[in-house]
Amino acid sequence: MYEIFEHTADLGIRVRAGSLNQLFVDAARGLFSVMVANLDAVRTVQHVSFNLKGDNLEGLWHDWLAELLYAFHGRRLLLAEFQVEIGEEAENLALTATARGEPIDLGRHEIDVEVKAITWHGLKVEQQADGWLAEVIVDV
Amino acid sequence: MSKQGYAGPLEQIGECCWRIPKDYKIGMRVEGRIFADEQLIEQIRHDQAPDQVANVAVLPGIQMASLAMPDIHWGYGFCIGGVAATDPAEGGVVSPGGVGYDINCGVRLMRTNLTYQEVQPRIGPLMDALYRRIPAGVGTGGPYLFGGKELRRLLVEGSQYLATRGWATAGDLDHTEAGGCLPDAEPDYVSQRALQRGGDQCGTLGSGNHFLEVQVVDEILDEPAARAMGLQKGLLCVMIHSGSRGLGYQVCDDALAKLRKVPAKYGIELPDRQLACAPVHSDEGQEYLGAMRCAANYAWANRQLLMWQTREVFAEFFGRSWESLQMNLVYDVAHNIAKMEQHQVEGRRRTLCVHRKGATRAFPPGHPEVPAAYRHVGQPVIIPGDMGRASWVLVGAEGSMEQTFGTTCHGAGRVMSRTAAIAHAKGRRIDRELAGQGVIAKCRSWKGLAEEQPAAYKDVDAVVDIVHRAGLARKVARLRPVGVVKG
Repeated sequence: MYEIFEHTADLGIRVRAGSLNQLFVDAARGLFSVMVANLDAVRTVQHVSFNLKGDNLEGLWHDWLAELLYAFHGRRLLLAEFQVEIGEEAENLALTATARGEPIDLGRHEIDVEVKAITWHGLKVEQQADGWLAEVIVDV
Repeated sequence: MSKQGYAGPLEQIGECCWRIPKDYKIGMRVEGRIFADEQLIEQIRHDQAPDQVANVAVLPGIQMASLAMPDIHWGYGFCIGGVAATDPAEGGVVSPGGVGYDINCGVRLMRTNLTYQEVQPRIGPLMDALYRRIPAGVGTGGPYLFGGKELRRLLVEGSQYLATRGWATAGDLDHTEAGGCLPDAEPDYVSQRALQRGGDQCGTLGSGNHFLEVQVVDEILDEPAARAMGLQKGLLCVMIHSGSRGLGYQVCDDALAKLRKVPAKYGIELPDRQLACAPVHSDEGQEYLGAMRCAANYAWANRQLLMWQTREVFAEFFGRSWESLQMNLVYDVAHNIAKMEQHQVEGRRRTLCVHRKGATRAFPPGHPEVPAAYRHVGQPVIIPGDMGRASWVLVGAEGSMEQTFGTTCHGAGRVMSRTAAIAHAKGRRIDRELAGQGVIAKCRSWKGLAEEQPAAYKDVDAVVDIVHRAGLARKVARLRPVGVVKG
């Protein structure tokens, strides 16, 4: 579950989920929902794989979102469905993910807000009694 | 993160200057100073921007004070409207957060010899023509493509490279900050991802608060300075606000990733990870500066190509060459940048790394870096306001050198978050409201216009008034928008 919160010049995404994997999935949906108004119109005809490593959870969280943002800007893809698996590998955290979507088609996709970057300001990933909470502020 | 106001100390130390004392936070090396009057300071207290001014005071090698201009608002790491100068000889650092993601976001103003009166009957079709031609919107590419070698030259030479391609004149370069090219740009430090994003975006507006505006000179407040710039009441001008596009964002992002563990390596403790930094005299610092200069040069070329396309549209529309329409660049300023500059601190001339994040260089009359045409009046400073009210042309004043490392404000500054602005615009047609005020607004999305509506910004007149009274810059001309192309 994600929600968008406000920050004077920018936007924040707050995510709550029962598991860490779901937290990362919902964050990805949240990020693309900011950028495209009709995310449900995105066809899941192409898939992309991601393999990321990190020595802490917040770094991995940032890098995951930054990779997704690059898929949008650098590869001009809109992604709408995600599977994420986070595990440990030689004392590091390892993320393996598959995302499905399609190339941006301005005829069908309503591009909304340009997210320029995933910032480190106020970034947090916390385990709570009933699951996980994470926040990120994106530069728009 | 909740939106709380700033509850810390703010002491008035001058008519337009407030201090955050050095003992407010552990680790502050200098005090914080915010330029504002009593009314603006109340607005400024509404969020955590003053706290960010204090955080920046922690950076190693920072000189005099961590400064903020009256258009200050809450950013990430640095506030928007922040200025920090560090001395590399004292372990001074460079921080990508002190420049921002949109490296060398900036503004340029071009004048014409057309009067609004003569153009008014055809302003609608003129705006349509501009809207059709100027590439705008999220991630949009443009008609100018730069392959590997060409892009490298563009990054090293900025607008000067465009002159070799016939897209910039000597006059354009002379009237661009730093001549449109920062030396010591190192394309080897720019990632493949950044290069790939930059290949087709030079000469495109982008989205968000970027714009191209057709404006009319509404009021002249300094006749000699206005004359030097070719500005007269009633003349039509074009203002362009854009930056380094995806290439710049990627350079900043790459740098922050590389700098993640660098502060710890050099024993630097920071209150916010977004302030990640490296000593200027370190490999990491030099690598960021080399890449940042590439992005800065790209941004100058971007605004130059946007202006060039505008000239072509005008020439076609009016059936005359742009030269005969005297569409001359008044000036181009960067407002997100870090530069090595000479400043006098505690009686000594030093080379400092001056970070301006949402702040504009404002060198006074006589400064050697001010082009000859303006040396007697001061460097032109272009201040975009909001699309309903006004924008300003100022000139740098003497007070800027001693108070703010030759710096002034950069714009109006937001008062409303984007979500609040959209809520405020519910059920309204911003384009029709603007049309009622005599402004034709062209935008691809209702939301884009809603986010950028005039009410989302401070009153730029009030902001400019402060820097004028504080002696940082002097008012020259007030410009009123008549047509807007938004990203």
